[in-house]
Formats: sequence, C-alpha cells, structure tokens
Amino acid sequence: MNRPRSAGRGRPLLYTSYAQDIAMFNTPGKRWGVAALFALALLAPFAFNDDVVLILALALVAAIGAIGLNLVTGYAGQVSLGHAFFLGIGTYAGAVLGGDPEATRALAFGLPMVVWIPGAGLVAALAGLIVGPLATRLRGLYLAIVTLGLVFLGGHLFKEARFITGGIGAGRRGAALDFFGYRFDQAGPLLGLDLTRAQKQYVLALVLLSIFAVLGRNLARSGVGRAFSAIRDRDIAAEVIGVGLTKYKVLAFTISSFYAGVAGAVFYSIAGVVEPTAFNLLLSVQYIAMILIGGVATISGSIMGAIFIMTLARVTQEIAHYIPYISTQAIGGGLINVFQLEAILYGLLIIGFLIFEPRGLFGIWFRTRNYWKGWPFSY
Amino acid sequence: MSPKKRWTYLPLLLVVLALVAAGCRAAEQEMQPPEDQEQEPAGDDDAQGAQTDVGVTEEPCPNAVNEDNGCIYLGIISDLTVGPFAPLAGPITEAQAAFWRRVNEVGGIAGYDIDATTYVRDNEFNAEVHNRVFQEIRGEVLALAQTLGSSPTLAILDDMRDDSIVGAPASWNSAWEFEDVILESGANYCFESMNGVDWATEQVGTDISLLHIHFPDDYGNDAAAGSEIAAQAHGIEYSAQETPPGRDQQAGAIEAVVSQSPDVLFITTGPQEMVEIVGRAAARGWQGLVLGSGPTWNPALLGTDAAPALEAMYHQVGPWGTWGTDTAGHQAMRDALGDVSEINDGYTAGWVWSYPMRAALEAAAENGDLTREGLLQAVSALTEVDYEGMLPNEAGNYADEPEQGAFRQSIIAGVDTESETGVSTIEDFFTGPTAEEHALDGPCYELG
Repeated sequence: MNRPRSAGRGRPLLYTSYAQDIAMFNTPGKRWGVAALFALALLAPFAFNDDVVLILALALVAAIGAIGLNLVTGYAGQVSLGHAFFLGIGTYAGAVLGGDPEATRALAFGLPMVVWIPGAGLVAALAGLIVGPLATRLRGLYLAIVTLGLVFLGGHLFKEARFITGGIGAGRRGAALDFFGYRFDQAGPLLGLDLTRAQKQYVLALVLLSIFAVLGRNLARSGVGRAFSAIRDRDIAAEVIGVGLTKYKVLAFTISSFYAGVAGAVFYSIAGVVEPTAFNLLLSVQYIAMILIGGVATISGSIMGAIFIMTLARVTQEIAHYIPYISTQAIGGGLINVFQLEAILYGLLIIGFLIFEPRGLFGIWFRTRNYWKGWPFSY
Repeated sequence: MSPKKRWTYLPLLLVVLALVAAGCRAAEQEMQPPEDQEQEPAGDDDAQGAQTDVGVTEEPCPNAVNEDNGCIYLGIISDLTVGPFAPLAGPITEAQAAFWRRVNEVGGIAGYDIDATTYVRDNEFNAEVHNRVFQEIRGEVLALAQTLGSSPTLAILDDMRDDSIVGAPASWNSAWEFEDVILESGANYCFESMNGVDWATEQVGTDISLLHIHFPDDYGNDAAAGSEIAAQAHGIEYSAQETPPGRDQQAGAIEAVVSQSPDVLFITTGPQEMVEIVGRAAARGWQGLVLGSGPTWNPALLGTDAAPALEAMYHQVGPWGTWGTDTAGHQAMRDALGDVSEINDGYTAGWVWSYPMRAALEAAAENGDLTREGLLQAVSALTEVDYEGMLPNEAGNYADEPEQGAFRQSIIAGVDTESETGVSTIEDFFTGPTAEEHALDGPCYELG
C-alpha cells in the first residue's frame, strides 16, 4: 500500500491519511513486534519437546475461549461464570458434527472440519443468544450467579445425554481433525517439512488463534467494541446516549459463545477424549483466571493469560525438581506433591495478581514497554 | 527497580526459565531418562543383539539394580489420588514395582533391567485425564505395565493399536479378549457375574429375584450383561440399576434395594459405594445374599459401621486367591513386598498382572525383537504363561480365539475377620454352567 511519507521523514507517528490512522498495525513498533512474535511462535514447535508443544497447542486454543470471555466480561462488563457451559455445548456440537462414527460409540456424523468448526461455534452462539437476554435484567453479582446456574444445568445435561457424551467415566472422542483429506492427528509432511502430530496441531491452533484474535481485536476497535466499553463503564449513561443495551448485551453473549464453542470443539479434538464432568465450575474459574491474570479488556492479555494458566501444571512439575519437600510422585514422599503445589500456586497467583497487578500480565508488559520507551528518562 | 516491581518480575522470570529449561528439544540428560524420538526408524541392532525401537535404551535405568544392563521402560497409568479405586491402585502399583525389582535382581531380561517407576501417572479414574497423561508418556515407553479402568483404557485403545503399544489392564473387561494389544489376566467381569449368579443359585435356589447395582461405565455394564445372561438362563427375576461413583451419591441405589427387596444383590462399584449401599440397606432392614465383583472389596471396610452386615451377607466373586493363599506365586509376592502396613488384594492383583508381561518380554527377547511390533507378535503367540500357581498356566492363552482362550474360572470369597485381607476363599476356582456354555463371540457389553 502507500508507504507513509512521514516514515521517510523519520516521523513514523505522523499520520497523513485516515486509513493509516485506523490501521491495526499503525506504528512500526507494532508491525515489527507482531511480526517478531509470530516468527517466534512459528519456531516454538521446533524448539520444544512434543509434550510441551501439545500443551502450547492446547493453550493457544484455550486462548480463543479466553478472548471470547474477555469480550463479554472484560469489554462489555457482563460477568459470566457460565463459560464452561458454552465450551461444553460447542465441544459436543463439534464432536457430533465432526466425530468419526467408527471411532466412537456416541452420535457422530463425520463431517469435514470446515463444517464442524463453524458449526460448533454457531450452536454455542445460539445458546448464547438464548442466555443473552438474562443480562438485560441482571447486573454484576446477580448475573454471575445466574450464569453459574448454567454450568450446573449443563453438567446435568451432559451427564444424562449419554448418546452424545458417552456418559460419566467413559466419555467420547472429539471431532476428527480432517481438513479436505489432510489429517492433523497423524504425523506427516506440511509445506515440505516433516512434522510430528503435536507440531501439526500447534500450527493449526496458531492459525485459528490468529484469525480469531484479529477478528476480536477489530471488534474491540469498532463501533460495537466502543458500545461494549460504554456499557461496561456506565450502562445507564450508554443507554441515554443511544447505545441499545439489549442489542449489545445479547450480541456480547452471542459472540463470546461463538468463540467458546469453537475453542471447546478444537480443544477436545486435539486432546482426544472428552468426559462430561470436565465442564464444571472449575473450568469456568480457570477461564476467569486466564483473563484476570492476562489482563481484562485486552486481546493480547487473553492470549498471555491462557498460555500462562495452561502451562502452569507443567511448570510446577519442573519447578518441583528444584524446591525441596515437593514430591513428584502422586503417592508417598515429600511434604506435598506436585498436584497440590499446582493448586496452591494457582490460588496464590490469582490473589497476587489481583492485589499487586490488577491489569495482569498485560499491565506488566505495558509498564515494561513504557519504561524502555522512555529510557533513559524513565521514572 | 522498586522492590514491588522486583517481586512481580522475579517469579515470572523463574516461570519462563523453568518452561524453557524443561521443554528444550535437545533432551536434558540429568532430568529425563534418555528418550528415543518417535520418528527414528525402527530397528537399531545393539550390543545385546535384539532389535529395539521406543522405550528401550542401552543406558542403565535410573536407580538400576544391574548397572551393566540396558533399560526397558514400562509405563503405569493408575488411579492414584482421587478416584474410587485409589486405595487399591496404590498397592497395585507398588506390587508391580516389587515384581519387576525381583525380575531385575535375577539379572533382568536378555541384558535389560525393567523400569516400571519412572513413567507412573495418575488418571483420577477419568477417561479424559487418562488420555492426556498417556499422550505424555506415549513416546517414551515400550509398553504399559498397567492401565487402570475399563473406560479409561478404551479411550486410549485406538492410540495403543496405532502405535502397537501392548498394555496390561488393571481391569477385567470382556472386550479385552478381543484386543491383541491388551494382556488381560483372570476371568472377565462378564464371566465373573455369571459364575457369581450360578453359585448364588446353588445357595438359595432359582426362585429368587436379583438386583444388579453397577457403575454406568464399561466396568459396570460388562458385569451387568453377564448377570443378565445368567439370570435369563436360570429363569430368575432380574433388574439392574446404575449408580454413580461417590459415597454420597448412593441414595437412589439404596432406595432401589429397600423398595425392590431382592433376594440376591449383585454390586459392581468401588468399595466405598458398596459398603454404603449394603450398610444403609441393612440398617433399613433389608437382608439377602450380597455378591460383589472383584474390585468391590477393601480390608478397610471391616473398620466401618457396616462390618456386621458385610460379615453376614457379603461375598466377593474374585479372579484369583487372596493375599494369604498358599501358592509359589503368592509366597514370592509376600517375600518381595515384605512388611506392608495395610495388606490388601491390590498387591495380589498387581503381582498377577505382571506375569504375562514378563512372559511376553522373554519371548520377544528370544525372538531377538524387542521393538513394539516384536512385543506385540510375541504376545499374540503366547499360549500359556507361568503364573507360579496363582492362576493355571492356560489362563495366559492369547494366541487362540477368545472362545477357546478366554479364562472362565472364578473364586468365591467370604468375609473372614481372621484373615489379613478380611476375606478368605470359600469356593476355589470353578466355572459355572452359564459361563461354560456361553459363546464368547463378542464383548458382553456391546459398543453402541
């Protein structure tokens, strides 16, 4: 496109056209930063072992769900503890649409990926559309409690619908990762490189996350995003200036559920087996933790938070080697074992971040960046 | 930098460093044992002469018994913390570690020590967690010394077949007879139920009603299918009821027992659920004959309030003799484990399940092929296994069709407060008429 004339004059932040001003990467810093980040992300599967790459792939998919939650809770201010419900709806919709009928005894239609990914999102979005109007009558704590009820409703539904979910204890396989005959669940070549299964799934997750992150970022920067922020900040004032509350609250829930549906379906396609008790309150809290620790009302914060929470288990295992009194075995030895350490750290981190860094990892990044931007005149 | 910022960045830095250090593809030799990448072509001929691929190394095991031997890594995925079988699974795992230590102490197999302690993972008796931890160790082990749970094992069965990973299940599902990669031992739940019902008809006749309470998963349904077949064969009034895991979830089951008042109650759950159902039903006045599937007993149950009810009514239909039985195998197990604080039949089970794996490894080593494919072929050729008296040798027949090769004998044990495990054998190995006649042409609990 047009090379900004200002750049040639050494004044990159001088915008000479509207398109330049509203571009997503409107400063060279952003352009180079995102490019470097993407390059690093592409190199990651070749630097780590397969089991870490698998964790990262799952983290990137969880980030899609976290972005969804951030859209409804962070940007639009509608507290939703029911994210696990929408994840579950999306997972089972995806599994039913895309599951391999020979691989599982539950209902499965074996449709291709281009059908079940949007399909899962749409079914979950439908659920969000139905739940959305609740938000117009309730705010804050009351909305949180009602969405919490959704989780228990969902839990009961998933336990009983055995022809879809396989029943508790047994579970079922997720959707098949089959893209026009190209299989993402077996090792093989991709663009000339020989990749393992985990690496392929990581690439798939990265591509999907990029698409949804860009969509989310654009949504947040658009009129809809501004309406969300207005509702979050002062919903009565927003209504007074003409922001339709019902419309935008329902839209927030619908879009967030779409993200959650896609995230759930792809997550359990990569993980392999899904069991109905997975969609419990703890999962909702995990996603809340992702956006709180990552940074509310930021897309990059959602991604950082998701990666942080999903890798926490693995990291505690590695840290346990260095800290005395922690046993790596599940039974016997040590004062506490790694699973308990993980649970303790989890709680401590949420509390710590809320007290000391309310803007989360994004806040830390923000302060670091400003420090170095102003260096040596930082203060 | 202000102190507050330092404390924010320091843990973050630690976290990032830990993750980087952990995951680097150039394997850390001091933290993880040497691994063979999945992509390496199969068949490195080594000094010992046998072909190997994944899960077998020339370097000795960590904490090796024989420093000159190589190492064969076996994985264990068990219910170690929160599931319904956790009190049994810990002893199962310990018994297996003791078994392989005994094998190593007499020199290992074909110049390799067997390591069954490095890749031990917890599955929380949940198919999803089981799959997740299996994916973690999938590329590191030659075979699975233990995979606990019918439903959790079914969840990873496709992947086991794809990778030719042989596994000894810590469960007795009839579906295992039809799987080449599964090294089952002992009569499956289906035959066990049939034998139990047959024995019950000998005790109380056939003009009775039978209620079978079971878990809703593959374990429970397999046993219920067996008891239903036996009930139909004898013309017994039959009904079945599902109940979820969890001691506090048994209200529906207890109500069913009290309202239907069956003459015979067959229970296929975990020990906690069984004692809850039997104890509460007895407290509300129900009396009758109680049969429990193999995994329903734990000696600790004798310390509960329901102990008198259990003593009067409970009988365990089991796959082999309890801890105190007098056979060479049982004695070897007692010697290897030494003084255990709480004796329970988890130890017996873990010990017995390891014999076929040892036989398969020895056969594969003799063939000079310790690859995964080689081990699978050795398993498929086994017609008998030396169980040192704990089971008849023909119980380890994996070569024949399930109709001929499946083992159909069970043991009945009654509560015995003098015994170390709280139960003792009252009827030794027998096959009931129903099990004898049943044509095993498919798993008892059909998929779908």
